[in-house]
Amino acid sequence: MASAALALKPHHRAWALLAAAVCLLPLLLQLPLTLALSIGGCALAIAVLSHRQPMPGALRLLIALGLIALVLMLSRFSIGRDTGCALLAAMLAVKPSETFTVRDARSLLAFALFAPFATFLLDQGPLSLLLGLVGALLVLATLQYLAEIESGDLQPVPARQRLWSIARLLAIGLPLALAAFWLFPRLGAPLWGIPDRALARTGLTDRMSPGDWVDLMGDDRPALRARFFGATPRPQQMYWRGPVLWDFDGRTWTQPNWHPDIPETPVVPARDRWDYEIELEPTDRTQLVALDLPVSAPDGSRMEPDHNLQTFRPLNGLTRWRMQSAPPAQYQPRLPRDVRQYALQLPQGFNPRTLALARQWRQEAGPFDDEAIVRRSLDWIRRDFSYTLETPLLGRHSVDEFLFDRKAGFCEHFSSSFVVLMRAAGIPARVVTGYTGGYRNRIGDYWLVRRSDAHAWAEVWLRGRGWSRVDPTAAVAPERVFDTLQTQETAPDGLLASFGGATSLSDVGDWLRRGWNDFVLGFDARRQQQLLRPFGIERIDDRTLVLLLALAAALGLLWMVWLSRRNEREADPVLRAWHRLSRRYRRFGLEREPFEPPSTWVERIAAARPDLAADLRMLSQRFSDWRYADGEPGGRSARALTMALRAHRPPATSPGERR
Amino acid sequence: MVWTRPRDPEPFPARLHRRRIYVLPTGFGLFYAAALLTMLLGALNYNNNPALLLGLLLGGAGMASLIAAQMQLSELEIIAAEAEPVSAGAALTVRVHARAAPGRARRGLRLDDDGLFDADAAVLNLEQGAGQAQLQLPTLQRGWFDLPRLRLSTTRPLGLARAWAYVWPETPLLVYPTPEPHGPPLPTGRGDRVQARLNPAGDDVHHLRAYRAGDPRRAIAWKPSARRDALIVREFEQPMGAEIVLDWHSAGGVPYEARISRLARWVDEAEREGRRYQLRLPGQPAIGPDRGPQHRHTCLRALALMPHG
Repeated sequence: MASAALALKPHHRAWALLAAAVCLLPLLLQLPLTLALSIGGCALAIAVLSHRQPMPGALRLLIALGLIALVLMLSRFSIGRDTGCALLAAMLAVKPSETFTVRDARSLLAFALFAPFATFLLDQGPLSLLLGLVGALLVLATLQYLAEIESGDLQPVPARQRLWSIARLLAIGLPLALAAFWLFPRLGAPLWGIPDRALARTGLTDRMSPGDWVDLMGDDRPALRARFFGATPRPQQMYWRGPVLWDFDGRTWTQPNWHPDIPETPVVPARDRWDYEIELEPTDRTQLVALDLPVSAPDGSRMEPDHNLQTFRPLNGLTRWRMQSAPPAQYQPRLPRDVRQYALQLPQGFNPRTLALARQWRQEAGPFDDEAIVRRSLDWIRRDFSYTLETPLLGRHSVDEFLFDRKAGFCEHFSSSFVVLMRAAGIPARVVTGYTGGYRNRIGDYWLVRRSDAHAWAEVWLRGRGWSRVDPTAAVAPERVFDTLQTQETAPDGLLASFGGATSLSDVGDWLRRGWNDFVLGFDARRQQQLLRPFGIERIDDRTLVLLLALAAALGLLWMVWLSRRNEREADPVLRAWHRLSRRYRRFGLEREPFEPPSTWVERIAAARPDLAADLRMLSQRFSDWRYADGEPGGRSARALTMALRAHRPPATSPGERR
Repeated sequence: MVWTRPRDPEPFPARLHRRRIYVLPTGFGLFYAAALLTMLLGALNYNNNPALLLGLLLGGAGMASLIAAQMQLSELEIIAAEAEPVSAGAALTVRVHARAAPGRARRGLRLDDDGLFDADAAVLNLEQGAGQAQLQLPTLQRGWFDLPRLRLSTTRPLGLARAWAYVWPETPLLVYPTPEPHGPPLPTGRGDRVQARLNPAGDDVHHLRAYRAGDPRRAIAWKPSARRDALIVREFEQPMGAEIVLDWHSAGGVPYEARISRLARWVDEAEREGRRYQLRLPGQPAIGPDRGPQHRHTCLRALALMPHG
């Protein structure tokens, strides 16, 4: 098509580049800083350099290859979802160098739409959503602009009007989109796997090196939200169990790979029982957290022998899990010999001072009184240690350094050192990581656990009781572990009172966020099947769903046609009334032609049907006066005229014609 | 009767009923759809609802733009197509008039000849419910020019779909014969009435007068203009013969079409010189003698409608 080769004027090109840039922005925000900066810088440079004339093809190729190499290098050649997204961003950054015709601009824009899409795979936060939406809106507005150029109509249209007409198109398409969103059959299981992120984010991981959580502790983003049905655990019981770490190499704790045939660990639950649902923010991992201890693994997950839950698929979207937990009365009261050996392992040649101290304590306590050793170490920690996030890197004998020199650190140091001390004293012990506490949102009546609530504690095996939770950090800084709870306890009661402070504003924000999560993000195949539950239908099968979708789509299309057919409403009420009045003469074949002035029209009516023209002549005179003579449109006279125009009905010629 | 496209010329006004309007995606529309499908499939696979919602919103807007494209044409009325006659070989400027109920924006509609002559498309904008477009169509031979089927199309608002409709005007337009480029001078006038006419093409300088819009450039007397600081034009006069007779039979021994061309040229020349002339064609009463645009049109029309030999 000849029109596709239309050259872009600089300001058309600027629009296209702006739309693409806004689409690219949220994606860049999700990439590592160096990568984002270099891609963004390249995009800017290319846009500026190719401002006047296209770059030579060889140079474009060189830049593209260079960017690809840079992306691969900066992501350390690990191919994952974010690397793929970075490559997409890089390609989008190069594309402006060859955007000079309407056709180029259109392909740039279509590719740019993939950027918000890719962003949503990485992040579904409000900023990404907002920027993505704005980007898409701009893309559509630019497409509209390009279509105007193509049509040869170059009358300038204000940008506001252009955006407005795009919003109108979106609004007209909205019913269909929403119907499809709720009714389009979801896949129960993905057709192809989802690549993981190549570069891990901080979060609960299957490893822990004391000192590396500092970033996490400052991250206020939500990790999970929980809603309890029935009993709510006391604050001191809110330990959300995550990875359980057994292996220590002197520096890092790691999670063992459990053999799948290991029998289930016997647990005698206590009387308390909590029934709850958690809504887990995406983590890209398979680690599920549950209140200590989960009774059983929910569908889609399995329980490891140490009661941490692993899902079958990475949690790269918002997921909800219905769970039951009970604190144990007895947790594995009989420890098999090999497990005992495993829980006592320590790396050779590390932390000699700690080992010596443990041996000394064991001698003083006697061979059987493990609890005395635990008590003694907790007393020591409570007395001599302090809590701080300002921790320097520890050396080779990290536990020695912490216990005897620094005596200050946070949960990672406390739990790690405590477990080493216990193992050295011959008490089976392990590190448990997860979250503690939670903040109760009174508006939505749910508990919010943030990533900054990440915590590590210890479990020691005691004769008669089995594995028991010991939290050495709580011995030093209980407010640090339970702080979010305490602020909640001092807050004034009642919904109204809580609206006053700044915290309650964030309450409302989080509540809204949760509503969006509930309504949109967490919608999946399972919830789709329960869509008609309010109408008494428990499950929708796929066939019904497709039928419903077809029906809704048909209705949506009809609605769209109806909406589109409606003419744009005349803004001026007087003109609107006047047009409506002239349409009333259609049944006599005397409708006013668009080009006909009022007086001519009335004379035409008077000539054809003298009986009709009587008071129309006066009205049209008033209308002409208002339109062309009156100095002030609007106001009292306009209202009166509008009323009069509305009231006018052409007299019926015969009784049969009366409406 | 409802038909989709006119198979025969139709009388005006012709209303573009919705069943006469075709809507199909453009190449870019297909590309857009493919991109959205990829996105939706990915979003479904990853159960990523924001991406799905974005894809569906874009898809919904695309669908709405399909309907909007149709609405640009729907219920549009083509009132008339007319053109000033031109000589064969020159482009015929066809003015197509359209109207529609006001209220809906109808801008940037493209009017073309459905690829018959490969003429450049004209742009039709409707302001206040009415508008016209000028389409240049090449003409090849004298006589009635049947307007080809016209195509009215638009890719607005988003360029994703093209909506188009065909209109086949019944209005025949007249094309005059091509005047002979070089040929013998006008036959000498009969009778001895001689009058002087102001004629810019003459030789004898008559007098000077002030410039009026439309005067030829070469008539401007530059030196006097410079003296008086205003444009001055020379008027000439030329001796004129009496009325002349342009006779088919006296037009010389040239072939049929060439003879028509020659007569056409003579008509124009006589008109330019402001002389009274009469046209005698075989098998019809003589036209004139007379002069003036009306007479010229009558003569040229008679020549144009001479049977093709």
